[in-house]
Amino acid sequence: MPLDNTNIVSAAQTKFGALEGVSMREMFAEAVDKATVGAGIPKKEIQAAFIGTFIPEMLVHQGHTAPLLLDFVGLKGIPATRHEAACASGATALRAATMAIESGMYDTVLVAGVEKMTSVSTNMATEALAAAADDQFESSIGLTFPGVFAIAAVSHMQQYGTTEEDMALVAVKAHKNASTNPLAQFQKPITLEKALTPRYIAWPLKLFDCSPISDGAAALVLTSSEKAKEYTDLPVKIVGSGQASASMNLCDRSDLTSFSSSVDASKRAYQMAGLTPKDMDFAIVHDCFTIAEIIASEDIGVFKKGEGAKAVREGVTQIDGDFPINPMGGLKAVGHPVGATGVKQAVVAYRELIGDGGPNQIPKHDTGIVHNFGGTGATCVVHIMRRSDA
Amino acid sequence: MSETPTVDQYLKNIEEGHFKAYKCADCGMIIAPPSGTCYGCGSSNMEWAEVSGKGKLISFTVIHIAPDAFVEEVPYFVAIVELEEGTCVSARLTGFDPLKPEEVKLGIPLTLTYEKGQSGKTYLAFKPA
Repeated sequence: MPLDNTNIVSAAQTKFGALEGVSMREMFAEAVDKATVGAGIPKKEIQAAFIGTFIPEMLVHQGHTAPLLLDFVGLKGIPATRHEAACASGATALRAATMAIESGMYDTVLVAGVEKMTSVSTNMATEALAAAADDQFESSIGLTFPGVFAIAAVSHMQQYGTTEEDMALVAVKAHKNASTNPLAQFQKPITLEKALTPRYIAWPLKLFDCSPISDGAAALVLTSSEKAKEYTDLPVKIVGSGQASASMNLCDRSDLTSFSSSVDASKRAYQMAGLTPKDMDFAIVHDCFTIAEIIASEDIGVFKKGEGAKAVREGVTQIDGDFPINPMGGLKAVGHPVGATGVKQAVVAYRELIGDGGPNQIPKHDTGIVHNFGGTGATCVVHIMRRSDA
Repeated sequence: MSETPTVDQYLKNIEEGHFKAYKCADCGMIIAPPSGTCYGCGSSNMEWAEVSGKGKLISFTVIHIAPDAFVEEVPYFVAIVELEEGTCVSARLTGFDPLKPEEVKLGIPLTLTYEKGQSGKTYLAFKPA
């Protein structure tokens, strides 16, 4: 049965990037204020808050973040819970909020994600990110996050003939889309030649194959269908939600060209929505690395296994292509403040679905799939969203 | 080898240059790195198993940007290796030039060895057979 009672009625994000002088709680407040009072939704209507944040303990030396953040935005008193699943923290918060609305427990809730990553050194941020991999068996021999996706890339290249140039084309598209997105960290288009600059991070992945370290926050207000009408004429319904887990260790995976959690989570979301990949108009996928976008586009069933790179080469995934992917610029060019990302992806889907994409608006925008990936792919959360009048 | 395996001892064995895998006491499946539950039959009864040390290269990368603890060692290979006994491990790869990764072919036969890191730590590693 498709979900029927969960509606996104407003969505906002801060600018992503190195937001010097802006603290975690201030970023959070900017996104929350935009999504609530900024959208005509009084804060007193919010009954509970679901917060995605990955590792503020290491990045800003702060634990127990949910009540702290809620207090700062004047929402002290209501239930506030933090959800952590590495880079999929945001979407696990969204999924928990969806379940809370569907259960009938609440009418109106806040979903928000935040990460402040640039107040520590790049090495410290890298070390914090590494905590999302298996410390005893993989991080301990020097396997890094780019390394994990580089291994997947090597396997994908061997099996399907994907090339370094195909991956670079994903980066070129991301930067092109972000160049018209004022909230993006990188707003300059790049050439294919530049994307192929051989500054290896983890061979064969180069600097331009990797998403950056970023600060940022994003927020959504979710309501029941009854309540949604009070806030907007054009709510976006969450019709399917799927989540899956997989082994943390890469070595325990039977297929390195695919991420089983993406396959499982998307199948569950499609099944719940009663829809198939053919019913989707676009996808927002977790492109923490360029190869991750190619593999995700196959794992969620949009392209056949091994044909993700071909779709990139042929321009299918461009804003004006047959199946746009990451029309605002993705994690790759907009930035990747880990805990905010999953919520930001839903913000992008909401804006595209209601036709608020500005220069990045895709032509066909009734139904979209949103794919948020945690760490080495040990968690994946997929949501299917549809404009209420579609 | 009736002693119950532990993660600590597994890591210590590598440090001492004597890698051992887990083995399901009920179905005989060889498991490494450690799991609390057998992937084959679901049993939690584990014992130690010696392995032949023969393996096959499944995939790999060359790390150029590393966390502080490994910075002195870059560039270095990290590989996924399938042991003859059927399980896969993550390990260092030695005997190749990390600046010529395109010369390394997937599927090649490998042999278990160990690599000493700059910090003095011993890594599980494989070299060309």
